[in-house]
Amino acid sequence: MTEDLRTIRVDQFYPHPPAKVWRALTTPELMARWLMPNDFRAEPGHRFTFQARPVGATGFSGVIACEVLEVIPPHRLRISWADAAQADSARTEVSWTLTAEGTGTRVLLEHSGFDPDDPTQRLARRIMGGGWRGRVLASLAAVLDG
Amino acid sequence: MPRRVKESPLDQLFAALANPTRRDVLDALLDGDRSAGDLARLFEMSRPSVSEHLRALREAGLVEERAVGRQRIYRVTATPLAGLVDWLSPYERFWRDRLAALGGVVDRMDGDD
Repeated sequence: MTEDLRTIRVDQFYPHPPAKVWRALTTPELMARWLMPNDFRAEPGHRFTFQARPVGATGFSGVIACEVLEVIPPHRLRISWADAAQADSARTEVSWTLTAEGTGTRVLLEHSGFDPDDPTQRLARRIMGGGWRGRVLASLAAVLDG
Repeated sequence: MPRRVKESPLDQLFAALANPTRRDVLDALLDGDRSAGDLARLFEMSRPSVSEHLRALREAGLVEERAVGRQRIYRVTATPLAGLVDWLSPYERFWRDRLAALGGVVDRMDGDD
């Protein structure tokens, strides 16, 4: 899981081969079902948006502006990710890396580029300190499974 | 600014975690349950100061105690930590949920298997 407050890492195993997971990951109609409605195309340089419901409490406009940065089927997809309505919002990056594991696929999602000066993250660092948060996250998985 | 009289559970959680010794104690308990005596030896602390730290952790809902014979055994309770992780990083929960949803979509697709 996540060590560094600027990057989120989440991984999940799917009992299906990479080609099939890749199709769900990169076909706009299928993406709309697990992520959000979009006008994605698997072409580097293509700019597109995800349309979600606005979240008033956080100032999230509901539109995420993206650009396709890297497409290596069926291995890796990388896009930029920013709140379309906030000019000053940090442009973060999301990548999916697919690795064959037995007859299935492990997907590692990384969302990087979060602003280390964000007040929540500053507070988090002050409270949690050093690598403690990552340690807790790793242990937490074990505790929740146990 | 008027002081808030009542502390919320999140305030208690952060107050408990703001102390580095308490984070170390919690860290030790994440490896397995321990008695207060064990913890006192491990951290070379007096029993009263260990008890004080354990009390703060217990009040924040981070640990629970049970009596085994004459000993009190402490263990980590994961729920407030899970809430804390979500509060610190809402995107993490978002992506965990989305990746789970991706699994549902792949399960229902035809072909390629």
